[in-house]
Amino acid sequence: MTMLQAVNVIKDFDGLRALDGVSIDVAQGAIIGLIGPNGSGKSTLLNVIARTTEITSGKIMFDGHDLTRASADVAFQHGLARGYQDPSLFFQMTVLDNALLPIKEQRGEHPWYAPWRRFWTQQEGGNASNAAEVLKRVKLDQHFNKPASDLSGGQMKLLEMGRSLMGAPKMLLLDEPTAGVAPALAYEIFEQIAALRRETGMTFLIVEHRLEILFDFVDSLYVLHMGKVLAQGTPDEISRNSEVREVYFGD
Amino acid sequence: MNIDLVGTVIALLTFFGISALMALSLNLEYGVAGVPNFGQVLFVSIGAYTAGITYTRLLPLLAGQPFLEPCGSSLAQAVQMRTGIMQTMPGVGLINFVVTLLISALVGGAVGYGISYIMLRLKQEWFLALVLLVGGEILRIVVQGYAPIECASSGLSGIAQPFSFIGDARTASIAFMVLILIIAGLAFLYSERLVRSPYGRLLKAVRENDPVARSLGKNVTRVRAQVMLIGSIMAAVAGVLFALNEGFVSTNDYVVGLTLEVWVMVVLGGLGNSRGALLGAFLITILNRVTAVVAIQLNMLGTDLEFNYFRYILLGVILLLMLLYRPKGLLPERAQSTDAHEQMGR
Repeated sequence: MTMLQAVNVIKDFDGLRALDGVSIDVAQGAIIGLIGPNGSGKSTLLNVIARTTEITSGKIMFDGHDLTRASADVAFQHGLARGYQDPSLFFQMTVLDNALLPIKEQRGEHPWYAPWRRFWTQQEGGNASNAAEVLKRVKLDQHFNKPASDLSGGQMKLLEMGRSLMGAPKMLLLDEPTAGVAPALAYEIFEQIAALRRETGMTFLIVEHRLEILFDFVDSLYVLHMGKVLAQGTPDEISRNSEVREVYFGD
Repeated sequence: MNIDLVGTVIALLTFFGISALMALSLNLEYGVAGVPNFGQVLFVSIGAYTAGITYTRLLPLLAGQPFLEPCGSSLAQAVQMRTGIMQTMPGVGLINFVVTLLISALVGGAVGYGISYIMLRLKQEWFLALVLLVGGEILRIVVQGYAPIECASSGLSGIAQPFSFIGDARTASIAFMVLILIIAGLAFLYSERLVRSPYGRLLKAVRENDPVARSLGKNVTRVRAQVMLIGSIMAAVAGVLFALNEGFVSTNDYVVGLTLEVWVMVVLGGLGNSRGALLGAFLITILNRVTAVVAIQLNMLGTDLEFNYFRYILLGVILLLMLLYRPKGLLPERAQSTDAHEQMGR
């Protein structure tokens, strides 16, 4: 079953065509890599799919919903979550608050009910214990009361991933989840991704530069070049593809 | 030099209550939610002008007396009638007061929600700041130039506070002060509880990084408009109380300077902290009263120095010093939102 489908996506930035008719298909429960040289349109594609960037033309279908003109909050409500290349936490807020924020349908998230604790305190307690589990998973449960700005770079990445999970997404779009992270931790981040897929059946679309790690974990890959899909296939097929080797590895 | 101590304290606390409402309003809008409202005076003046309109039109109607043109030849007569009603018919005065509060909250809230909803759909929230800054001044100029609203530049007097039926002026002003402090106290409780709830967490997230909040499923535009609705209602209520405390409505009171004064209160007290807003309002109220008293004393001594202007220099210096050395204010906000933190700590 298809989870995400982008059809013939075109994105223009002031006359520059960043995406030129890109179509991709992601099956439910798959881990798909998205690679390509700098400026090939990987991040733009991710932004367009996550609805943080307007689409020029084309179509985005997610889990049976047409998201082509939806806003980012609607995409998230349908179960499509994203991570950012630079840690994009709420740095003045605590680790726990960062984890609690994305939870959907919070009764205390309304100005008329919020002042009356009895409307939401029970739900908040349950949410906090769910958050505690996720924080434990990303090894941040000891730091729950710190401002997010106090964490190390790797911890920030982990918190960002944990935060995305709190919204119970069906699919996660990740933009270089290991950027600026030590090699050992980078591997661990991908092990978490694989474990999540095993346990929850979550779908992933991942932009990543560390191909040696990426190739170990993905089912298949899309290679973007100058705003177009250059090739698609399993890690084996991609590494043997001569066209890809030429533009990407330069040989 | 003789100072009526009790009278000074009553005046101080009354002004403090009104300033606190304005500061709590701006603290919620900018301090917590990051919506830069540079039009605080727009909403305050909506409250004040509403009071002017209800006291000249609604009050005679409620009292069963004929409408008298508030300006022009019947001006003195109309003032006398208003004052008469307020002193002899306490029920009518109180009903008129409550209705004034409701209408001003409704109008102020609608304007705040409407403008912000339109403006915040645009890319930059600073557009909203400019529209509100200019909006307050435009409203002032219109009201000043169009006589039927508040008698143009001569303003309206005889806008008595609801307890003026009490014979003893001091008792009446104490009663009004208590009412104002209760209203400010309720506004404080509401903001404090709001900040320490999941909604407060949402507001801070919107303040810190609205694109990320949006990509985590939050309808940022709606949240900001809600905050502007709440803040505008508080400011409009403060405007009604301000006008009634003065006893008159004059466009000269509702200038951009008032907005800036509220900003200094919030920055001084601590952005995002309701207690800080109260502290800031208190300190600036004292500063205002002290400079006013010094100005009067200096005038009586016969100096040419207009000390009132020093107030604005002082406000500017306070703002600069705070931003330079203590940008989080005297009482910084707390990082945690709800008490889920305390429970988890156990």
